[in-house]
Amino acid sequence: MKLIKSAALLVLATGLAACVDNKEDKTVDRGIDSKHLSELKAGIWIDPTGCDHWIIDDGAEGYLSARLDKYGKPVCSGAAPPNTAIGPYKSGSAISDPI
Amino acid sequence: MVIGISKAFRSKIAGAVVAALIALVATSAAQAQGVQREVIGEAYVPTIWVDPDGCEHWVMDDGWEGYMTPHTTRQGIPVCRRGNTCAVMNSDQLFKTDSYRVSAQGRARLTQFFQSAGATSYIIAGHTDSRASDDYNMRLSVNRANSVAAVAKSVGARISDVRGYGERMPRASNGTASGMSQNRRVEIICIR
Repeated sequence: MKLIKSAALLVLATGLAACVDNKEDKTVDRGIDSKHLSELKAGIWIDPTGCDHWIIDDGAEGYLSARLDKYGKPVCSGAAPPNTAIGPYKSGSAISDPI
Repeated sequence: MVIGISKAFRSKIAGAVVAALIALVATSAAQAQGVQREVIGEAYVPTIWVDPDGCEHWVMDDGWEGYMTPHTTRQGIPVCRRGNTCAVMNSDQLFKTDSYRVSAQGRARLTQFFQSAGATSYIIAGHTDSRASDDYNMRLSVNRANSVAAVAKSVGARISDVRGYGERMPRASNGTASGMSQNRRVEIICIR
């Protein structure tokens, strides 16, 4: 049991160390769920005003960016009530997110 | 074991911080002016993520955190690879000159459109040509957009926003009759 625990810790520490050094290429996600960031899968988060944002829960990283129309104004689709998230925003990474 | 890991961990973090602080970046604006300027910072070069609407966002992953923000022009207009304008109705086919009352024919056409488009919601944006004053055209275009929105609502379509841009966003030259005709329009953006 103790052996398994320390083995698990070692794997975790190696994984973390890989993240901590100065990551020069900011355009990719690496580690277990490695990919180019253009492959992210988004859902929609509706803010308290009722306007849409693209939301992506990509394992360790989270992304949020405004949904804008062609005139640069916020898109407020009414697809769901304020303070809710809809769509496949957790589907881009195999890493489970307990929170 | 655990102490050993955290020590190695800390020195790695310290190394990363030092590397970040001594990085020197020459900004492109300074380079354009032929002046070298030293900035203490770290290189953060983004890539592009395209949202389901077809619009671009800047995205970065620095190891722990992810960052994202819309890619816009300096005027605040999003950079998109395709548009979501699903209909451009010529105003002449919906309204009489200077009027914002939808004709019977126009109403039938709009009803048919909103019953079949199947979007989650719609943004309605009215536009005019450049005849008459800017102020008058701003009012006329928003009144016409509201008339179109009323028809949409009457058949159960959800309207997300209604706007009038007057003569300020022409799609063709106002120097020719056909250009002016193209500018007299009501745009419908489909949100899916």
